[in-house]
Amino acid sequence: MNPNNSIRFIQGNEAIAEGAFAAGARFYAGYPITPSSEIAEISSRRLPQLGGLYIQMEDEIGSIAAVIGASASGKKSYTATSGPGFSLMQENLGVAVMAEIPCVIIDIQRSGPSTGLATKPAQADVMQSRWGTHGDHGIIVLSPSSVQECFDLTITAFNFSEKYRTPVILLADEIVGHMKEKMIIRKPGTYDVTDRKQPACDPADYKPFQADADGIAPLAAYGSRFIVRLTGSTHDETGFPNSKPENADKFIRHYTDKIENNKDDIVMTKEYKLEDAEFAVITFGCSTRSALEAMDLARGEGIRVGVLQLVTIWPFADSQVRALCSRMKAIIVPEMNLGQIIREVCRVNDSGIPVIGVNKVNSEAITPFEIMEQIREVSKCRK
Amino acid sequence: MKDRWEIILSGVGGQGLILGGSILGEAATVYGDAKATLTSSYGVETRGTFTKSDIIISKREIYFPEVMKADVVLALAQAAYDRYAGKLDPDCLLVFDSGTVTAAQNVQASQYGHPFNRLALELGNPAIANIIAIGTIVGLTQAVAREAFYQALEARFSEKPKAAELNRRAFDKGLELAGKKE
Repeated sequence: MNPNNSIRFIQGNEAIAEGAFAAGARFYAGYPITPSSEIAEISSRRLPQLGGLYIQMEDEIGSIAAVIGASASGKKSYTATSGPGFSLMQENLGVAVMAEIPCVIIDIQRSGPSTGLATKPAQADVMQSRWGTHGDHGIIVLSPSSVQECFDLTITAFNFSEKYRTPVILLADEIVGHMKEKMIIRKPGTYDVTDRKQPACDPADYKPFQADADGIAPLAAYGSRFIVRLTGSTHDETGFPNSKPENADKFIRHYTDKIENNKDDIVMTKEYKLEDAEFAVITFGCSTRSALEAMDLARGEGIRVGVLQLVTIWPFADSQVRALCSRMKAIIVPEMNLGQIIREVCRVNDSGIPVIGVNKVNSEAITPFEIMEQIREVSKCRK
Repeated sequence: MKDRWEIILSGVGGQGLILGGSILGEAATVYGDAKATLTSSYGVETRGTFTKSDIIISKREIYFPEVMKADVVLALAQAAYDRYAGKLDPDCLLVFDSGTVTAAQNVQASQYGHPFNRLALELGNPAIANIIAIGTIVGLTQAVAREAFYQALEARFSEKPKAAELNRRAFDKGLELAGKKE
């Protein structure tokens, strides 16, 4: 064992909070809601000890607004929510996109719509995390399937948000958020931490939306020597509103392009036993665990199954999934919703192989046996 | 020894089942070299309604974190016993509180009834019935090493030496009961 690391047996939500601290996050504003509340609870206790600040806001609209303001002031900032709280955050999520504010929004998915089966798990916010705020934009969404991934991906979420000056959504679920599991708290220095670029120019020349060659503009902090104009209105490089069509076109394309053009860096997948597989399960979040169990069951019956886990959900792993479709006989997509990721799989299924969903919305986890049933069916048909 | 144990800890809210499962998980992972997962389900109320924790302890990777085929079921309340007793395989161990649960006749699982709640009172605190029962489970299964459980208890109660000592005695009491059918 590496003596720099420490082993813990903790919940996914605890690991997410630890990941935020490890990434250098020092500001949290939120409104506690099950099944995300432990993140608020731990942040309220630990952030002041780390020299940071925790504020319990009046609601989720105010929470994300405070997060945006704190980040603009130079602190890595985050909030955590669930279900209806995530819905309330959508408008200001657009402000963060438009003003290009790094921040991390953690959504511990629960059953919906509305109050739904409060506290019970679901994976039905996939499309909301992509398109919940109005207007064209790119977004980065990561989804953990284990307590270790909760820690590691929270650090990655902050790093992406700082690197690409964008809100990043950590899309977990009640099962992973509340599950306790063995994990390693990595010690500082053993993982990468990215901080946003600072302007190198004279303050008089600083334009908060003037991109460098890499497409990303340095972000100075409110209250620093630089004047930082941020707005939710369409603006030009200076941050002043600018409604000229050519300016709108340039910036609206930029919000998508800065994410989509960096898919090689952002899109992360994990492959399990795909080398010799004839059938693949494409999965994410808690359903990954059921898929892996089903993979082993199927292999026990002599059916060669592999798993592709989408660690990054958005931007979607088009090329990885397209390539997989071209060499599999069929694909199974289990998700605790009525079919959201499967639409994306079908979109890139140029080979036209069968793509079959295993969908469950009764608040119970998809079992390995339910996936296994579909695997048996497709393996019979394709012999 | 089995390399995978699927254990259900069930009862009603307030009996410390999630806490007990957490200490068991810590013993397995932090103070032992196994993997473990703990998932729980409980009512909206904090006390008095059915609650259960699934704890899986394994030498191998654990994927699906819910119990698929129980090796051990602990039932500290009648509602919990009734939910599981009739559904268990003959090789499952059903450990229950004989003081509050009326055992059924047509149960295939091996039954181990002990008055955990009464024994907890005798040791001085009704809140340690969970640890006595877990002691019995550890004694019956060796799912975690005794020493690892002691270490987990010590770490959990590091600032409360009296509580640490009481829980240690509770655990020892449970170990002593293992194997004795009441």
